[in-house]
Amino acid sequence: MVRQVLIVAALAFVPGLGQAIYFRDKVSWQSPVPASEMVTVAQARAWGGNAIWVDARPDNEFARDHVPGALSLNEDRWNELLPQFLAAWSQEKKVVVYCSSQSCNASREVARRLRNEAQLKNVFVLEGGWEEWLRTNR
Amino acid sequence: MNQLSTIPQFVWRIADVIVGGVFIYAGAIKVLDPVQFANDIDNYKILPWTIGVGLAFYLPWLEIFCGLALILRLLYLGGLSILTALLAVFLGATIAAKIRGLDITCGCFGHASQHWNFSVHLALDLLLLVALISLLLRSERVFRSA
Repeated sequence: MVRQVLIVAALAFVPGLGQAIYFRDKVSWQSPVPASEMVTVAQARAWGGNAIWVDARPDNEFARDHVPGALSLNEDRWNELLPQFLAAWSQEKKVVVYCSSQSCNASREVARRLRNEAQLKNVFVLEGGWEEWLRTNR
Repeated sequence: MNQLSTIPQFVWRIADVIVGGVFIYAGAIKVLDPVQFANDIDNYKILPWTIGVGLAFYLPWLEIFCGLALILRLLYLGGLSILTALLAVFLGATIAAKIRGLDITCGCFGHASQHWNFSVHLALDLLLLVALISLLLRSERVFRSA
């Protein structure tokens, strides 16, 4: 049985490896978000008024504190909040989405939906999220 | 165990094909979008991203090959053992994620399963696990008596 397990496992490895090579430019092995879609706090701040900050955290965390001028857009109330965001958005602006920390998923998901569902370009995920913003703004 | 031996042979073959087909379908859907599957694995917050990406490329093919092993009855015990182990680990990870309060999308059946609730996931996975264990017990019995 062990021999069979090893053979099946090895057989599956071959197309898996082939696919990994084929997708080498489509996925980053270092980070869930490709480097070209990430932005540091310093870079985003340098964009000044050309950036729209989007807070992807839940409502209660947004209410507690947020980046000055940021708009709330989370998945819980996506349909309700998206029109408000789109009213403030314009084509030349860059969108910076953040959630609570480096390990949270919400900013990635919101950025993905803004790109795919709202068909927006220039959507970036903030490296380190709200924690990093707080750290660099103390 | 004795009850298993009373079930006709063709029923076991049907079970092989159904279970094998389910895993081939599940694997094929994930092969089409490995990046999404990598994100689904990452949502469990158990493994580093790099390992998750590696698994996202490997696991769907493993499911397909194991499913084929069941249907074609080639390397049968190997495929069956891998699927049973995979499903047991996956069930454990899903329950652990639920306990930790993570809002996960398992990605098991691609977008088709995105809006299933936790109970549906759990019921389907348990059903598959029972089927796999039954097939495993039965095939070991056949193997020993041969």
